[in-house]
Amino acid sequence: MDFDAIVVGAGPAGSCAALELARAGKSVLLIERGPFPGSKNMYGGVVYPRILDELVPQWWEEAPIQRWVTRRSTMIMTPTQALTIDFRSQNWAAPPYNGATAYRPDFDHWLAGKATDAGAQLLCSTVVTGVLRDAAGAVIGVRTDRPDGDLTAKVVIACDGVNSFIAKEVGLYGKVDAANYTLGVKETLALPKEVIDERFGVRGREGVDFEVVGCTEGVNGGGFLYTNLDTVSLGVVLKLPRLAAQKKRPEEIIASFKKHPAIAPLIEGADLKEYSAHVIPEAGYKMLPKLVGPGLLVAGDAAALCLAAGIWLEGMNFAMASGMYAGRAAAQAVTRGNTGPDGLKPYLEMLNSSFVLKDHRKLQHIPHLVLSDRVQNQYPAFVANIVERMFRVDNPAPKPGLRRIVREERKRAGIRWRDLLSDGWTGMKGFS
Amino acid sequence: MTVVACLKWLTPHDADDRFGGISPADSSALEWALRLGAARNEQVLAVAVGPAAADTALRDALACGAHRAIRVDSADELSSNDVAAAIAGAIDGLDVSFVCCGDYSLDRGTGSVPAFLAAQIGARQALGLIEIVLGNEVIALRRLDGGRRERLRVDAPAVLSVEGATATLRRASLSGALAARTAPIDVLAGPVGSHLPTARRPYRPRARVLPPPQGETLDRVRSLLSGGTATKSHGVPVELEPEEAADRIIAALDEWGYS
Ligand SMILES: Cc1cc2nc3c(=O)[nH]c(=O)nc-3n(C[C@H](O)[C@H](O)[C@H](O)COP(=O)(O)OP(=O)(O)OC[C@H]3O[C@@H](n4cnc5c(N)ncnc54)[C@H](O)[C@@H]3O)c2cc1C
Repeated sequence: MDFDAIVVGAGPAGSCAALELARAGKSVLLIERGPFPGSKNMYGGVVYPRILDELVPQWWEEAPIQRWVTRRSTMIMTPTQALTIDFRSQNWAAPPYNGATAYRPDFDHWLAGKATDAGAQLLCSTVVTGVLRDAAGAVIGVRTDRPDGDLTAKVVIACDGVNSFIAKEVGLYGKVDAANYTLGVKETLALPKEVIDERFGVRGREGVDFEVVGCTEGVNGGGFLYTNLDTVSLGVVLKLPRLAAQKKRPEEIIASFKKHPAIAPLIEGADLKEYSAHVIPEAGYKMLPKLVGPGLLVAGDAAALCLAAGIWLEGMNFAMASGMYAGRAAAQAVTRGNTGPDGLKPYLEMLNSSFVLKDHRKLQHIPHLVLSDRVQNQYPAFVANIVERMFRVDNPAPKPGLRRIVREERKRAGIRWRDLLSDGWTGMKGFS
Repeated sequence: MTVVACLKWLTPHDADDRFGGISPADSSALEWALRLGAARNEQVLAVAVGPAAADTALRDALACGAHRAIRVDSADELSSNDVAAAIAGAIDGLDVSFVCCGDYSLDRGTGSVPAFLAAQIGARQALGLIEIVLGNEVIALRRLDGGRRERLRVDAPAVLSVEGATATLRRASLSGALAARTAPIDVLAGPVGSHLPTARRPYRPRARVLPPPQGETLDRVRSLLSGGTATKSHGVPVELEPEEAADRIIAALDEWGYS
């Protein structure tokens, strides 16, 4: 065998897997198709690196962070209204911090550097085109797009991101359903740092995270707006089948989001620096593939371990953690000399006993609820109208009672009590 | 004997080494060096004058099949003459057959390093090539003014500079790419030469003062629209000794404001 382990993809999952294997003294090759780790990668922009406490103590002193998120706003929008729940905590402005904005070409590059510092070998500009298997079907290596491009290993860890061709090739996914995926599109808009500080009410390295529902022109999804030092990341996430059915272009939806009166003043005069798009495995627990195959582990987005549940859009932390556990399990299996499905099974136990599968299991109904037609198309107007009427002064008419407003608005929005209660119950149950 | 490929490492303005690379012309030059090496059964040496980041380009060259790599350490922007001197120093003592360069780099882009280098190592030069045919002899096709071409038989030792579209660099094999990651690169001390101002921008002649247009209305309009070139006489062919001709060219460039 050429290596103890080959890790495919130097995103957060792959780099953590390689780091863990290298630290355990195993020979590991990390293969990345881009010219450097992170060069091909995009995301919304907020990473929660708590799990790195285990891998890189005091990571915040060296990670290439743009801003520390100290303000989280959740916004419910209709074309003319916006209701914002705005939370600020200065506790997140100092170590050990909570969320942070970072650019992927910086963050992934840095994290892969940790793996190579620990002894992992990194090979860039190389695409893995398939796996090598023995007569019994066990994975024993990878094929690349380079001349004489086969390499063997005791374990292969697929961290090749959403739509993992490796996991599919080995048959770990069932039938692929487009409804489990969303399309994320993002614009990076440049503004001077002082202007961002001013408009978003932050100072120094403090940053803001906006999550928005009801801004996607009837295509089920959501919007986001995050601050970097001198750019903001603004984008929408759109359910694929709906986007196709409604024959809308993602850039049109972004354009209308940018024009919304609650957003436009925040980004006025900004220069478009970059437009990017990527698919997200959004269905969470319900779409998880088999995570272990013979000689193969799958981690990160390749394993659909991305948590997209309304107020949370977390994939990086799940990728880093699942990658770390995959690396750990692979190293142990190599040490024990058993890299068959049995030997690799501790990976599942590690995921099950950590936040990775616990959170996914707990929140399994949430992605569906958040992307449901009612939450997307009926509730935003319902809630916004209630609030509008509460704040509206209709003198000389006396103030209406809240119960009456709710009753009337529920009727106007065409929402049945039964659905409202059942969605409320799903939400309560899902989050509790 | 040795075939040499000269590679210039460049990082785009306001970006760091992750986004650096060599020009398409240098990629072509490397490919020609590898082909020449294979055809003549000679070793291929990749040379770069530049900072440590240039090792990336040299490793790529090794991955593609170059046998050795030398970097002349220099973080400064050097004049073409100094770059050529540094390369000449690095290959001094080697029995060099051909040196392949890109026709010009992307940043200053005057294409003069190959010419200086040929002068310094006392080799022939065939510059700005758009095609090379390798057989028993090396035949090179050169672009001339006015869409004309010049076909040259180039004997060693010679410096060749090629355009970017002349050859596509081969893809490194997996074993080559893996081995190159840790292959040794010889690093030589950099030159202490006259340094250029470090402003990084494409080379452009300076603005020059034009005399007010003169003559008939139509001539004046023509003169204005052509940026002053229309009223210039079309010139008279003269036959001069090379040195005298060079002086005349320099005098003319001076007169036109290019000095
Ligand atoms: C629009 C959008 C917004 C998002 N917002 C957030 C957010 O704010 N916060 C958050 O935590 N998460 C967010 N996510 C999710 C997050 O981006 C992913 O969950 C995370 O990147 C997954 O990491 P990964 O390492 O599994 O995969 P990836 O980051 O996709 O990395 C896969 C790597 O594998 C490489 N690769 C793929 N195939 C091959 C191959 N065949 N050969 C070699 N290399 C290969 C790729 O080049 C890449 O480097 C967002 C995603 C999108 C699309």
